[in-house]
Amino acid sequence: MMKKNRANSIMGMAFFGPALVLLTVFLFIPMILTVIYSFTDYFALSPATTHFVGLENFGKIFKDELFMQSFGNTVKFVLIIVPLQCLGALGLALLINKVTYCKKYFKVAFFVPVVMSLAVVSTLWMQIYSPEGILNTVLTNMGFDPQPFIHSTDQALPSIAIMSAWQGMGYQMIIFLGGLQAINPALYEAAEMDHASAWKKFKDITLPELKPLCVFVFITVTIGAFRMIVQPMVMTGGGPSNSTYTIVYDIYETGTVNWEIGLASAMAVVFVIFVVILTIIQNVLTKDKEDKHENKKK
Amino acid sequence: MKTRKSKVLGIILVVVMIILSLLFLFPVVWMIANSFKGDAAITADMNTIQAFVPPAPGKGFFNNYVSIITDTNFLRYMLNTLFYAALLIVLGVVVNGLAGYALAKIKFPFRDKWLMIIMMLMIIPSETIITINFLFIAKLGLLNTVIGYILPMIVNPFNIFLFRQVFVSLPDDVYEAAQLDHCGPVKYFFTMVLPMSKTVVATVSVFTFLNVWNDYLWPSLVFTSSDLLTTQIGLNSITSNENTTMGQTLAVITLITIPVIIIYSLFSKQIVEGVVSTGSKEG
Repeated sequence: MMKKNRANSIMGMAFFGPALVLLTVFLFIPMILTVIYSFTDYFALSPATTHFVGLENFGKIFKDELFMQSFGNTVKFVLIIVPLQCLGALGLALLINKVTYCKKYFKVAFFVPVVMSLAVVSTLWMQIYSPEGILNTVLTNMGFDPQPFIHSTDQALPSIAIMSAWQGMGYQMIIFLGGLQAINPALYEAAEMDHASAWKKFKDITLPELKPLCVFVFITVTIGAFRMIVQPMVMTGGGPSNSTYTIVYDIYETGTVNWEIGLASAMAVVFVIFVVILTIIQNVLTKDKEDKHENKKK
Repeated sequence: MKTRKSKVLGIILVVVMIILSLLFLFPVVWMIANSFKGDAAITADMNTIQAFVPPAPGKGFFNNYVSIITDTNFLRYMLNTLFYAALLIVLGVVVNGLAGYALAKIKFPFRDKWLMIIMMLMIIPSETIITINFLFIAKLGLLNTVIGYILPMIVNPFNIFLFRQVFVSLPDDVYEAAQLDHCGPVKYFFTMVLPMSKTVVATVSVFTFLNVWNDYLWPSLVFTSSDLLTTQIGLNSITSNENTTMGQTLAVITLITIPVIIIYSLFSKQIVEGVVSTGSKEG
């Protein structure tokens, strides 16, 4: 018996080993280094002059106007995209669930932008948003004034948010469709016996059954939106006047353009703590729901 | 009477949805239609419905595509990316699959703790450690090498978790029978476990392909030499060239999109399953 245990330990580590080595080198150590560097003034071009500076970096970033602006931009981006993408995905899923013909075509059509890359989508929409582009031509023909879109400080961020919601909502639509199909049809049949209206069925059956998925989608879209960087990198370079500069963009440029690793690490630590808090909130909210389900079953 | 009414409503809904889907896809339709036109034609067609219709096939129909393939390195970038994707699919399935199997079926020290750590690692946004990984790869002298690009991308906590969830439900008696036939654990994994779990292998492979094909940040840091670029970074170097026309730009992004659309249409079942599983695992 002892021998078998030992054989299992060796085999287990042999199977898990390659992944563990790579995880250690490219995930654990970088994470630990990020935390350590966040307390230093590590400058990548002269590593020899690194000092321990305590919490100075953290004080610095909250006084840094650019970081605070990029934080504000990111929050604004999140506030626009989250309702747009979540409600859009839910609406599409409800409609497709009701449709009786060409269901497959609709699933594919609304999912196409998801498999396109962010760089491709950004390049394409730069043409669409251009001053002489197709969108402005359509607007002018309909009697509206042409809009500057990504070329103005007011419109650049919302323009990128609308594009990103368009690109991403197919993913959450598929998640919602999976959830809708998992609802027990007997619930609807019972409601039909009671002559419940369509709205009442939606409010009393569909929404409560989808609630855990709604929380999941809401939080994942929120976290995804906080991580936004590629779209402004390709489309605007963070401009005009830093109006599309985001937190992750700031971390990235502070690290790989200015080489201020200490400062970038402090920003990264703050950002990760933020993301972890959001994830914990999600877990608490969905756990709560599961417990209630369990109780009901008992 | 009632069924007839609901049938009419059903048809109205389909018509509304078709219009909605066309509106939704207008950027993609516009992209494809105009990738076959010269810039003069693109501008001239802008005011009419012609903007969404490709020109009649004739002489010069593929001009933009031909000039992209002959005048730029784009074909090279496509082949590079396909090669990286193939490499990462094989390595990723083996490394993450073995780890997932160990976490599911082999009793080794701290197994459940490792599983918890893997699940927590799924939360960490990769953008936050990309700078440190870049410095590390640079220190090793591996910038502008395939190894330097590939190494940090092989292991993926989410894929380990996905494999583990599927392997856990494999029956144990098959393994015991295989042991009697003197089939070692490694051989058992490759000849029995992986073939028995085709769906999850396909799902992980498809997501790895999409991830490699669409990735932007990491290859843009590691690669500066034009010979090694991936499609996404190559796109950047082509569009930033002043001589590139709008038609050519649209042709390039159409070319980049064709492989993912093909992969998606071949494996839409696996993709949908993968997407739904992210929802059901957590929700």
